[in-house]
Amino acid sequence: MSGGEASALPLEKQFEDFRSQLEDSVTLRERIRAVVLEIESTTRLMYSSLLLVYLSRPLLEVLDKSKAHIGTLKDHYSRLADILSECPDQYYRYHGDWRSETQTAVSLLAFTHYLETGNLLLHNEAGEKLGLTNSQFGLDLEDYLVGVCFMSNELPRYVVNQVTAGDYDCPRKVLKFLTELNAAFRMLNLRNDFLRKKFDGLKYDLRRVEEVFYDVKIRGLASDGDSTGNQGSKENNDSEVVH
Amino acid sequence: MKCSSAIQKIVLMASSSSPQRLRQWANFQSSPKKARTMSTQSSLKDAFSSYADYLNNLNEKRERVVKASRDITMNSKKVIFQVHRISKNKKEEVLEKAYKDLAAVMNQYVARLVKELKGSDFWKLRRAYSPGIQEYVEAATLCRFCKSGTLLSLEEMNASFSSLSNPSQEPLQINILDYILGLADLTGELMRLAIGRISDGELQYAEKICTFVREIHRELTLLVPHMDEPSDMKTKMETMLQSVIKIENACFSVHVRGSECNLLGTDDSSYSLMGAAEGIDL
Repeated sequence: MSGGEASALPLEKQFEDFRSQLEDSVTLRERIRAVVLEIESTTRLMYSSLLLVYLSRPLLEVLDKSKAHIGTLKDHYSRLADILSECPDQYYRYHGDWRSETQTAVSLLAFTHYLETGNLLLHNEAGEKLGLTNSQFGLDLEDYLVGVCFMSNELPRYVVNQVTAGDYDCPRKVLKFLTELNAAFRMLNLRNDFLRKKFDGLKYDLRRVEEVFYDVKIRGLASDGDSTGNQGSKENNDSEVVH
Repeated sequence: MKCSSAIQKIVLMASSSSPQRLRQWANFQSSPKKARTMSTQSSLKDAFSSYADYLNNLNEKRERVVKASRDITMNSKKVIFQVHRISKNKKEEVLEKAYKDLAAVMNQYVARLVKELKGSDFWKLRRAYSPGIQEYVEAATLCRFCKSGTLLSLEEMNASFSSLSNPSQEPLQINILDYILGLADLTGELMRLAIGRISDGELQYAEKICTFVREIHRELTLLVPHMDEPSDMKTKMETMLQSVIKIENACFSVHVRGSECNLLGTDDSSYSLMGAAEGIDL
């Protein structure tokens, strides 16, 4: 420990420095929060666009409306990145301020992507859409995964309404998607944290979709689609159970 | 056949549901094994296996950081206990041992932290190492105060860490928040120290501690609203104020009873001083 001059630094001086540093971080946080509010309102608009899917609007129209907001989101994130570039390596100090908004954004992007392609939007793809590809300001993986779980929460409602609207093949597709997603999630060693809880929620979504699939199937409403290859074995199973 | 007996078991277990329903359920359960579109599934698997690697590495690292932090806490506490062994006549050697132990904490355990943390980790894993660092700040500032009566500054502390990492590495930097939180805890230790000194008859030393603690309390009061988690700091401030008041009351008792002694004309002042300190509830 060096004594001498440094310790002669008056106590007040050090605390004055602290105060000005902390005040700077408060100001920075206020600026971050201002941008986050805009992100929040954009995701709200995007969500309301996606909700048109339940109002029997044509899918293309819904997708166009939803995707129109992605550019705005990207702009907001680039402003956020600019602010954060003033304090390198402090991403995670302020991360909590935009965390839940980012999870929501990911869930909406992933839902849009699913409606469009039938596939899962991957982490790097989500990052690209939001412009979060920088190593200093990227998309946190755990936020992405939580966002994916949020998206899965939307699927039971989607399936129910699609069936009501007469799309009987939808449950099968969603079920396949969710089953694969569930299997993928089970590859992860999760800690006992928020993400784990959200993943537990995904199983309930899966079960709900299974029920819808069953309801449709048992009434012979589902078209057999490309599943004809499995018909034979299914019938075998049936007869085995019945005896 | 294996499959069907398993299904029957399920049927028995869930007797409330219709068997038909379960049969359907079983049908679909067996179908995903025959994956129809291998391509999408395998890209999903690839992606998730890289996510799994990332999460495993992160969790292992966090675990190591938590362990290092716990070791720092435990051994810093030992340093603090050592400082409390100070007595009127044994100040130098007790402090010397405390400094030696403190250096060992730094070289053994803080050094382990330094190896783990780089770049954004300092903030990302802050929760994992913050308790240890706060305890270390407490121990180091306590040693410094006992040695020279001054406050070890954050700048000095961070400078002392530079020797732990080779120049190519980023040096460990304690952040302001952990330093301030550590200082808030320091006042509790100083309170114990002050009471001990009063019992030992070192009234002047106790008064010096009192002034120092008052100063820290006053300075920190201004910082509370600007902390990242002001509510945590608020509770610490209340405890701190209690410590300050305890020292003040102890000094007051000694002061009042001390003058009583003078009035009575006894010169055995240490006896009454002991009494004054006993009245303080730690």
